[in-house]
Amino acid sequence: MPFLSKTTTAFGGLLLAHACYSAREHTTLQSLRAATAATLTSSPAAAVSLPVDIVIETIISTLIILLGLVLATRPLRPLEWRVWAGKIEREGEEGFTDGSGAADKGFVGNPFSVLESRPNFVDIRKQRREFAEWVQKGTAQQ
Amino acid sequence: MPSERELQISPIVQESLMQNSRTLSNLQSLTASLFGVSAGILGLESYSGFLFYLVFSLLTAVLFYVLRVAPTSLAAGKAPLDTSRYFRGPYEFWAGGLMNGLAGFILTWTLFYGLVRA
Repeated sequence: MPFLSKTTTAFGGLLLAHACYSAREHTTLQSLRAATAATLTSSPAAAVSLPVDIVIETIISTLIILLGLVLATRPLRPLEWRVWAGKIEREGEEGFTDGSGAADKGFVGNPFSVLESRPNFVDIRKQRREFAEWVQKGTAQQ
Repeated sequence: MPSERELQISPIVQESLMQNSRTLSNLQSLTASLFGVSAGILGLESYSGFLFYLVFSLLTAVLFYVLRVAPTSLAAGKAPLDTSRYFRGPYEFWAGGLMNGLAGFILTWTLFYGLVRA
């Protein structure tokens, strides 16, 4: 589902940008406050760590983007030849589509199609019988 | 690592191997840069930053396993946390991304640390 993954990633990116901006504002404010405090009093300004809500927002947005990126990955293909060929045989081209529904570029089809269309294995009598039935049906309709 | 004899008995598809590895390494380099952004925003320094990267990389591997590998792998009768249906070895899947994305992580980590703190 490309729509779901893209929406998730965009939402997470928005949250992350907001967290980044908040952290930037926070450090600017802190340095400003430290500078004014240093001019007014001689006490050293304590270093203030990041507020916990920015930390939480950063981590949550990272997890959301991570989820979106993992959802956006292409489906994996089986490694073993027999599993792979069995999947092609059962599902055909539908089993090898990427997220947008089009078949993969690397999809080669049935690896045994050469064997199945081998001229030695053609049942010529069956084909002749089918042809005769087709001719009979054509004459019966006329 | 399967032996020569096992490879002869149950051969593997090279195209699938390449595509799976590429999918995983793309994901790992993308997420490594993302983790660098987060670590920079959080203002992590030295060991805690690398620990952050380690934890989130493992989390990526687990999430990828749960969403992409597990549904078909478990249905095919593999044991839990066994990635042999799609990848050569467990090391490549679980820890291969650590070295793969480290450079991108440090790049964005230092960049965003500088942007936020400077």
